[in-house]
Amino acid sequence: MSDVLAKSAGKSGEQLREGAGAKGLVPLRQGGAPLQAVSAEKVSPAPGEDIRIGVFVCKCGTNIAGFLNTNAVMEYARTLPNVVFARENLFSCSEAGVTDIRNGIKENNLNRVVVAACTPRTHEPVFRAACEEAGLNKYLFEFVNIREQCSWVHKGNQEIATEKAKDLVRMGVARATRLEPKEDITADVRQVALVIGGGISGLTCALSLAKRGFLVKLVEREKELGGLLRNINRLFPSDVPASSVIAEKIDQARKDARIEILTSTEVTDIRGYIGKYSVTVSSNGKEPAAVVGIEPEATSAGGSGAHEGAPATKTFVCGVIIVATGAEELVPEGYFGYDGKKIITQMQLEGMLKQGKPEGKRFVMILCAGARIRERIYCSRICCMNSIKNAILIKESMPDASVHILYRDLQCYGVKNEELYLKAKHLGVKFVNYTLENLPAVEPGKVTIRNSVTGKEMILDADFVVLAPPLVPRPGVENVSRMLKVPLDENKFFLEAHVKLRPVDFATDGIFVCGTAHWPASSSESLFQALGAAARASIPLSRGYVKVEPIVSELVDEEACRGCGMCAAACPYGAIEIVETDKGAKARMISVACKGCGVCAATCYKSAIGMSHYTDEQLEAQVKAYLKGN
Amino acid sequence: MLDAGRHPNIEILAYSEVEDVKGEAGDFKVTVRKKARFVKEEVCNACGDCAAKCPRKVPDEFDMRLRDRRAIYLYFTQGIPAVMTIDKSNCTYFEKGKCRLCEKICQKGAIDFEQKDETVELSVGSIVVATGLDMFDPSPLTHYGYGRIKNVITGLEYERLINATGPTGGHLYRPSDKKLAKNVAYIQCVASRDLNYCKYCSSVCCMYAIKDAMLAREHDPEAVSHIFYTDFRNVGKWFQDYEIKGRELYGIDYVRARVAEIEEDKDGNPVLWYEDTRERKVKKLTVDMVVLAVAAIPAKGSEKLAQILGINLDEYNFVSVGEEDPTRTSRPGIFSCGFCNGPCDIPESVSQASAAAMRAAEFVLPEAKVAVNE
Amino acid sequence: MAEVLVIGGGIAGIQASLDLADMGAKVYMVERRPSIGGVMAQLDKTFPTNDCSI
Repeated sequence: MSDVLAKSAGKSGEQLREGAGAKGLVPLRQGGAPLQAVSAEKVSPAPGEDIRIGVFVCKCGTNIAGFLNTNAVMEYARTLPNVVFARENLFSCSEAGVTDIRNGIKENNLNRVVVAACTPRTHEPVFRAACEEAGLNKYLFEFVNIREQCSWVHKGNQEIATEKAKDLVRMGVARATRLEPKEDITADVRQVALVIGGGISGLTCALSLAKRGFLVKLVEREKELGGLLRNINRLFPSDVPASSVIAEKIDQARKDARIEILTSTEVTDIRGYIGKYSVTVSSNGKEPAAVVGIEPEATSAGGSGAHEGAPATKTFVCGVIIVATGAEELVPEGYFGYDGKKIITQMQLEGMLKQGKPEGKRFVMILCAGARIRERIYCSRICCMNSIKNAILIKESMPDASVHILYRDLQCYGVKNEELYLKAKHLGVKFVNYTLENLPAVEPGKVTIRNSVTGKEMILDADFVVLAPPLVPRPGVENVSRMLKVPLDENKFFLEAHVKLRPVDFATDGIFVCGTAHWPASSSESLFQALGAAARASIPLSRGYVKVEPIVSELVDEEACRGCGMCAAACPYGAIEIVETDKGAKARMISVACKGCGVCAATCYKSAIGMSHYTDEQLEAQVKAYLKGN
Repeated sequence: MLDAGRHPNIEILAYSEVEDVKGEAGDFKVTVRKKARFVKEEVCNACGDCAAKCPRKVPDEFDMRLRDRRAIYLYFTQGIPAVMTIDKSNCTYFEKGKCRLCEKICQKGAIDFEQKDETVELSVGSIVVATGLDMFDPSPLTHYGYGRIKNVITGLEYERLINATGPTGGHLYRPSDKKLAKNVAYIQCVASRDLNYCKYCSSVCCMYAIKDAMLAREHDPEAVSHIFYTDFRNVGKWFQDYEIKGRELYGIDYVRARVAEIEEDKDGNPVLWYEDTRERKVKKLTVDMVVLAVAAIPAKGSEKLAQILGINLDEYNFVSVGEEDPTRTSRPGIFSCGFCNGPCDIPESVSQASAAAMRAAEFVLPEAKVAVNE
Repeated sequence: MAEVLVIGGGIAGIQASLDLADMGAKVYMVERRPSIGGVMAQLDKTFPTNDCSI
């Protein structure tokens, strides 16, 4: 590792130049995982050597073969210049398919590989690894998408789809002839994690990482730690007081010397890149940012101890970031006559239950108040169970109370939730189904509802009408999204790398998400996600380094660069700086921060910047190849 | 799957079972039985020549018994490890001492009838249980006719029919007469949310019924789908959108009803009797095929495994986990994740798995020595 | 080397194994069927994105 870094130190410690690839086993920091030996003796064509391309066309079961003639595409590929081998696979991503690629490379001395299959987002790493294992540099591999970009969008016309697939393969082959071997860029990882948000998710994540020995900076913008759980009475399905759960976590975090807690503090700026984020935080100006961790005299429950003389802003470096900014209950203004007094929310009811019995005997709870409607399509997952939980608490403390729950679909998924639903029914909670077409009408003291099962109108007297609004992201998520350059979905929840297979990762390496910032979740579901995010974050932390793809910007014509700074200004990732050199002001690329978006190259009016692995020459070759056939 | 097979730190012991666990957190001694495949794993390349000639047909478990495999078989095409296995209990040689055709045909000499089960002793610091699920057999629910009416199938059987690698190459040929099933009814909560069988909700069926109906329409633009549901469970990310898409783009007919009974007409078409609770009318619907969303249950053998591991299960044989530490089982050092903890979908299984990994790691990996002042 | 046993080679078992292995542990993944993949391997596509399950 040290000779890799030494080689790449060059003019500046920041810029890690490609080409400084790993040799032999890469030693890691303690606790890191050794990887397979990576040979530096890669098979690459020598200058002047013939290009020998192998094309593998994937049927993807029926996903591709069901909508275009993959055999014809394979036969066509054989006729293309430089193609010496072509093959069709049922599933290229299977072990058989990958073995085929490896064998194909070795047996035919291929020095370029084209796979025509699904999207690179699924299996590009698999095919690249197959090339590497066969001794071919993994960047001499070209992925042609004939599924999302062809078979799936031209399902009605096999002939057209097949011709388009041939065009795409011809273009891919043309690009492949101009690919060059590249090496991943390696960056050191600081073994410090930033956790944004001090609710149950943030605290659990921080405690878990600290237990593994990493340092954690826990930043919470409110004065108190605890998030949503501060306002909740009891949790479901465990029926334990939320306050005791959160108090215990806060106490553990305060006592852990590895966790630095900064309350009344917000993240205001993040620069840098995975492994080395430079984070600036500042307090709200009214109280200094408090550093609470190992000082035994910290303080009253929930409050942060003021530390005299603490600075209002602070900058530190961390290796990974976990977003745990939580969510809040929508204030259901305009829904069902909400007034906050007699027509209240479940969170307000939580407050009443925490203080004792609410003053009233007749409760009508209305679910989906502001959710599962045109303006807000999503189901907020936990409101049904939260309401059932509170209904049970009311009935257990006041058996003669009347509780009606008006619902559209009851979300009692799983084992324990369904048990609670049955328990509620046994206790005499009445469940009444309503539809979107016939919403309950709410007046002070009375709810009129058309029971969708009986078809009859019911008039329910109510001391309290309790609405269950959805959880919505907290204000300020757009700032966090912008600072971290991570996306939000259409509901402003953070958007993970893959909804199923990478639910707590972002597509950007080194940043993770958990809890209700990601999607409404119960406390136990948040715990899973928090521990899961901690697990994922601990991987680069424990390895001590990350590898970044060398698909980055390059100064291809240093002579032409005037150091005007337009590229740096345009770069959304802060990956370019202008520095003074002995040839004048020039742009310098911070490769590890670069996401390869190409905006800099497009901005540069001197054409001084190019994109590695997506060079103008490669793209022009693709365009010409397309035009040639049409 | 491929990542797991290729990772240098992961050793896969497939066709194996845990037989005994001793010790305590940080120092467990585990006995694993590697069952004999009678095929040399390091030699076999799964070419399939043996299976092509094997004379014994056996219902294929992977394909939900909708087609046959051979006594020597590959569990599924993309499986890892990609190695053939001889099913000893259905092999002519093991039964009668004759045949051994596979051995004669195998060009790599990979067959080894002398192979024995192997016992492996492992020393591990912690254990993660991730034994998954099985499907409830709906035969006892005689009013649905599963087993009696050929064209009443389960959700997982449907998955195999609609799958390109399945017994019908992805075409929805119904079991009785191989006619293309164009009009399909999906019945939710079969043995789930049922006081007689599984009181709980299996959590994933509402969503997979929509998915199945979408796939049917993708395979056949004339496909018509009816989903009979009780409460629609769409709690996850984008799940509600999915339901709406099913209705608006794929024309799925959602009917709030518990189907009371399924009969069969003379052409083998299932006939459903139900009360549409919205219209309060008893109705009858004839379809080409019925798909039962049966309850998902803990994997077979969970009770025995729990005894070996010394962990508690709940009344349904799901693993009992801590409330505040939801991957923790009743035995220190043993963690649990995924469906074996209770019904959950893929995103939940994945994050639970990462959570369990983090907990398990605490027992085995050294702490990073990072100076507090750094 | 630190060692962990994972019982089950479905999606949860595989994910737990990968995370542990990436963290630096040696993982034994025991699966009773002839290959790993679990129930997910039997599925064609998976909700809500309808991409393939393999």
